[in-house]
Amino acid sequence: MSFEPEPSVVALVDAIRRGGADEAIAEDLAGFFRARGVSDEDIAVLAEAGASRVLVYRSLVHNRLRNAIRDFVPRTIARLGNDRFRADFARFIDERAAVSYYLRDVPEEFVAWIAPQWRSDPDVPAYLPDLATHELLQLTVRNAPGGGEPATGNPVALDRPLRFDGSVRLMTYAHAVHKLSSDKDDRTPPPAEPTHLLVYRDEAHKVRYLELTAFAAAALRHLIDDAQPVATALQAAAADLGAPLDDERLGAAALLLADLAERKVMLGAT
Amino acid sequence: MATGEPDFDAVPTGIGLGLRARFLGKVADGEAVGKVAFLELSPENFMHRGGRNPAALQRCAEHHRIITHGLMMSLGGTDPFDDEYFATLREFTDRYDTPWHSDHACFSGLDGALLHDLLPVPFTSAAARRMAARLMEARDRLQRPMAVENISWYVGMGAGRGHGALDEPEFLTEVLERADAGMLLDVNNVFVNARNHGFDPKEWIAKIPLERVWQLHVAGHELWDESLIVDTHGADVRDEVYALLEWTLAQTGPKPVLLERDSNIPPLPTLLQEVAQLDEVYQRAIATHAAAADGKARHVV
Repeated sequence: MSFEPEPSVVALVDAIRRGGADEAIAEDLAGFFRARGVSDEDIAVLAEAGASRVLVYRSLVHNRLRNAIRDFVPRTIARLGNDRFRADFARFIDERAAVSYYLRDVPEEFVAWIAPQWRSDPDVPAYLPDLATHELLQLTVRNAPGGGEPATGNPVALDRPLRFDGSVRLMTYAHAVHKLSSDKDDRTPPPAEPTHLLVYRDEAHKVRYLELTAFAAAALRHLIDDAQPVATALQAAAADLGAPLDDERLGAAALLLADLAERKVMLGAT
Repeated sequence: MATGEPDFDAVPTGIGLGLRARFLGKVADGEAVGKVAFLELSPENFMHRGGRNPAALQRCAEHHRIITHGLMMSLGGTDPFDDEYFATLREFTDRYDTPWHSDHACFSGLDGALLHDLLPVPFTSAAARRMAARLMEARDRLQRPMAVENISWYVGMGAGRGHGALDEPEFLTEVLERADAGMLLDVNNVFVNARNHGFDPKEWIAKIPLERVWQLHVAGHELWDESLIVDTHGADVRDEVYALLEWTLAQTGPKPVLLERDSNIPPLPTLLQEVAQLDEVYQRAIATHAAAADGKARHVV
């Protein structure tokens, strides 16, 4: 079933979303709404209420969404600065806006949209996209619909893929943002070092972080993302690093899988 | 096709509490048992969500009747309904067997952009027909009765003087009658609108078909500026709203009444005290309603 929106509805959405709409409405409310096809009769009703009433909706929407983002990436916003955040958010709602039905998804939508722009902006610290992603992990892993699945009951075999807990995420950062203080006022930059993390939700629903070597990260990526059999995944991981799959790496892989099994992150062979 | 009316014999009456993440665990542990008539929750806060919440919610449902109240259906909107959203919502409302599902007389987005707020629609017959059609479609998709809630609105969306223009009670009545739907009457929203737009809240309520009121909401509001109050759900219920609720319940008789609190949420024991205070108002109103009904019956005899 589809319907056409009334001009006043389209204009209200523009009043909320469009950059500079607040100034335009404050300056010439009638002109703003007339330009969007709203009838003189309807404009009279809006004018009677006044620009400040119309703009209450802009404030309510912006405040609600900005607060949702700030709640989930507080250290990122603190380091970015409030003025820059407000400007970035204003462009987000103008150019893209949220598309998820769930308010808790808005921070992730914002970060996914803004991170590429931050990466190419010399005024933004290079580590900030990593920090935002890392802060969001707490939210996404805590709420991940998967997780807590039972063990398969099948022992690990070299020729079989493995099953992992549904909450698991593998992350790679260019900066060790996981080492930063949780203090929102701290401005120490993180070391610029490649960082690999496995993140999961444990049985008590706490989000846990494991730092991985480059080999472990590559192996797990082939095991989890590509669902490759164990032997294939380990060979592919060694090849990724241009290194041999020697006894040392095989031993490390065995220890890693045993540790993940104990944590109930690796659930056995499929 | 789902029927328009719920099974009223199975509907809890009395004061319920809006379930929020802040005290979900305590309610799951049974701390509200015997103190609230039901729990109301917004499925969007629980759908597509794993971790601690699903099990806690299941334990809440073992202690209390659940009524669901949505946030994002955009009944006044023009974008087509989202199949995935409705499929998930249907699964959710089936699981908790809510007597009805409600959402707001508003729109929440346009052209796929979702603004996560309750935005006003024009009070016209055309908009009422559209909202009624969407209510019926929602009912068919959910296979469950639907109710619609009046919102707080801060500016009229035009057509207030034009052809086909209605006032808000006329608009809502047309929606309810066309869709054969229930009304979730938010008493605080009526109060807020009456203050902001200068009308008598009792006259407003008297124009609504009260036989279609299935549930009521009360909440607190806050000052935005000297001339505007905003429905924030972030403060205690004010005495004037208590009085309006009592007057309304004396007309409707027993209904489920929800205490809403979405920000500045106090500890659960404080909220339960407010529920108890609200229950005193409720019991007085129901006694008044019963006495009036008794008087009418004697008059007929």
